Amino acid sequence: MSDSAPLTTDHPGQAASATPPAPGRSRRLSDRGLAVAFTSPALLLLLAMSVFPLLWALYLSFTDYSATRGGPAQFLWFENYTAILTSPQVHQRALTTLIYVVGAVALQTVLGFAIAYLISRRTHGRGLLTTLFLVPMMLSPVVVGLFWRFMLDAQFGVINSMLGSLGLGQVEWLTRQRTALISLILVDTWQWTPFIMLIALAGLTAVPKYLYEAASIDRASEWFQFRTITLPLVWPLLLIAVLFRAIEAFRLFDLVYILTSGGPGVSTETLSFHVYKVAFLGFNTGTASAYGILMVLIVIVLTQLYLRYLNKLKED
Amino acid sequence: MLVATTVAACGGQDGSAPKAPATIPELTKDPLTLSFIWFDWPPAHALEAFANAEYTKGRPNVTIKVKTVPNANWHDAMFTQFAAHKTDFDIPILDSQHIGEAVTNGNILDITDFVKKNIDVKAYNPYLLAAYGQFPQAETGKRDENASLYGLPLLGDTWTMIYRKDLIGDKPPQTWDQMISVAEKCQADNPGVSGLAFHQANGSDAAAVTYNTVNGVYGGNLWDPKTRKIDGVLNDAAGQEAMDVLVNKMKPLTAKGSGNWFIDEVNAAVAQGKACIAFNWIAASGGLLDPKQSTLGTTREQILDKLGFATLPSQKTNLVPLGGMGMHVSAYAPEANQAEALNFMKWFEQGDIQKKWAAAGGVPSRTDALESPEFLNAQPFNQVYTDSVPRMRDMWNVPEYARLVDIENTNVNAALNGAKAPKDALDDIAKQQQGVLNASSGKGGGGL
Repeated sequence: MSDSAPLTTDHPGQAASATPPAPGRSRRLSDRGLAVAFTSPALLLLLAMSVFPLLWALYLSFTDYSATRGGPAQFLWFENYTAILTSPQVHQRALTTLIYVVGAVALQTVLGFAIAYLISRRTHGRGLLTTLFLVPMMLSPVVVGLFWRFMLDAQFGVINSMLGSLGLGQVEWLTRQRTALISLILVDTWQWTPFIMLIALAGLTAVPKYLYEAASIDRASEWFQFRTITLPLVWPLLLIAVLFRAIEAFRLFDLVYILTSGGPGVSTETLSFHVYKVAFLGFNTGTASAYGILMVLIVIVLTQLYLRYLNKLKED
Repeated sequence: MLVATTVAACGGQDGSAPKAPATIPELTKDPLTLSFIWFDWPPAHALEAFANAEYTKGRPNVTIKVKTVPNANWHDAMFTQFAAHKTDFDIPILDSQHIGEAVTNGNILDITDFVKKNIDVKAYNPYLLAAYGQFPQAETGKRDENASLYGLPLLGDTWTMIYRKDLIGDKPPQTWDQMISVAEKCQADNPGVSGLAFHQANGSDAAAVTYNTVNGVYGGNLWDPKTRKIDGVLNDAAGQEAMDVLVNKMKPLTAKGSGNWFIDEVNAAVAQGKACIAFNWIAASGGLLDPKQSTLGTTREQILDKLGFATLPSQKTNLVPLGGMGMHVSAYAPEANQAEALNFMKWFEQGDIQKKWAAAGGVPSRTDALESPEFLNAQPFNQVYTDSVPRMRDMWNVPEYARLVDIENTNVNAALNGAKAPKDALDDIAKQQQGVLNASSGKGGGGL
């Protein structure tokens, strides 16, 4: 920098325009330019990895395209969609998925909230307890699946061994129609109850203490405090946790793949597992794309309805 | 899934299998890794060790790598790469039934001319050569010498009956009915030991092969290949009798909760002394004689005092399931690797190498190797394979195989686990499989 150059100026804009850029140096980027420069790699990645595949799948969903059979795709319009929506096989998988989602999420919500409530009432060891409860959530679903597959094995599993020592009979956890779905719900609950617990704990911690103090002065019972203070204040947060869990549960694949392979028969075959079979066993790419798009649409519509309910709850 | 679909869909193809040259092109002198893809089981590791020890004596610049995936992912691992028209393997080891799908989509090389010039086809049992390489392949019967070849045998296999000599005696049952009654008595006499152990899982081809085997010995047929008719053939009287035997007579003799058992679980039951009679693939039976994995003895000899291996009992017919796989050349492998793959195949299929492969734990397909002392003395169950070769029957070798086998697996598994009545399961298999075959006359679409 030369000595004659001013250190400050009253009119920085003028000074900037008066000083020509040094030869060989690029012009300074504006804020907008910088923003574009910084976000464009991420944006391009998003376009390439999410938006383009989604649009491509949308296009394929209207065709008879097969990834392995190749050749030009013939336009079928809504034939794939009609076939999926009217298929008894898809209806059966939808029912299985619905039972699983409702069962697992309800159980996780009740347990998660109960654990959070109990932890929130403790003054000592709360951090340690919370950390311990969070461990299952940190594990990969494949690891969880393999771990529980051994635990639930009818012949050599720990669970049946424990039942045996209690004088109870062996249970075919993974190979009977009813117990297989219950096993999936229980394993999912084991892994994801901590998620609900964490959200509920955040909500419980945020309830202002003075409300309880005021209620205590009025000699309100514990149950009254829970019903009129705790639950209404935590409820909206809990519903958001339920939303996240329901979306996750709706697309359950890994646990089914490892624990039951959809069996016995197809009785634990969820929609996600079925769409995988359509896509990769028969390579019916067009049908699988339509199936995937329909699943996304269902999640979007249900989420929208749910969010409207949440907003209404907030306004009330 | 969207990403995979897009990757797959972006490739184009002409739908015909490209031809391999009749003569092996000049091989590279640069370092080269020749990659196989197989599922994770002992023969895969044996192949890698054997090839690196023997093949590299003549080709020191080459390293053999056998990539393995879990059995359930085997088909998907190969065919998703085929769909993307880019493979990270040079030699896919395809199940005999996968050939149709790979050939129809142009994924593997047509090696007919190469075989004519480099391989002594008369050295093989014609059915084995057809099963592991020919397409279209006759369901049973002999090789069509005018048909094209797309692969060569790598590992032969079939089921062996494993029986407890100390529990049921030295003489194995000769008929299926006899086997069931022997198993019944053994189970009753030995609390805690189940009469039978066999594949029932609904993954891979586990439950389907079990039904097909029983269907075969009771005189049933899987389909009529000429008319492509399944409904009315599979579920005819013989088929129904087979399903009845499997679900109502054999299943009650298995361990509780064994409805998801496959190769490893059956081996575990035998090794832990929990089964009187078991059925398993021969190539997967080696571990049974390992004292470290068995409770039946502390030495191989002690285990062999208790375990016997025999060919499957017969009933109305004497059919046994064809197992094993052939090796093929990926149409998307680099030219240098394709040349090396052809050279490896030529080397591997020589009589003396096949005998060495047999001694290393492989199951050969050349008749001279099958009858050689190197093979017959290598394992106590190898004689079972040699005796079973004339009795083999394969499944449907058609491009729709993956969907057909899934339909059969899930329905047989449902019947075995009480989720479906046996007759309903069989009728559903026939109806759904017929639907798949009928729909496949059109291109794409459908598939639910």
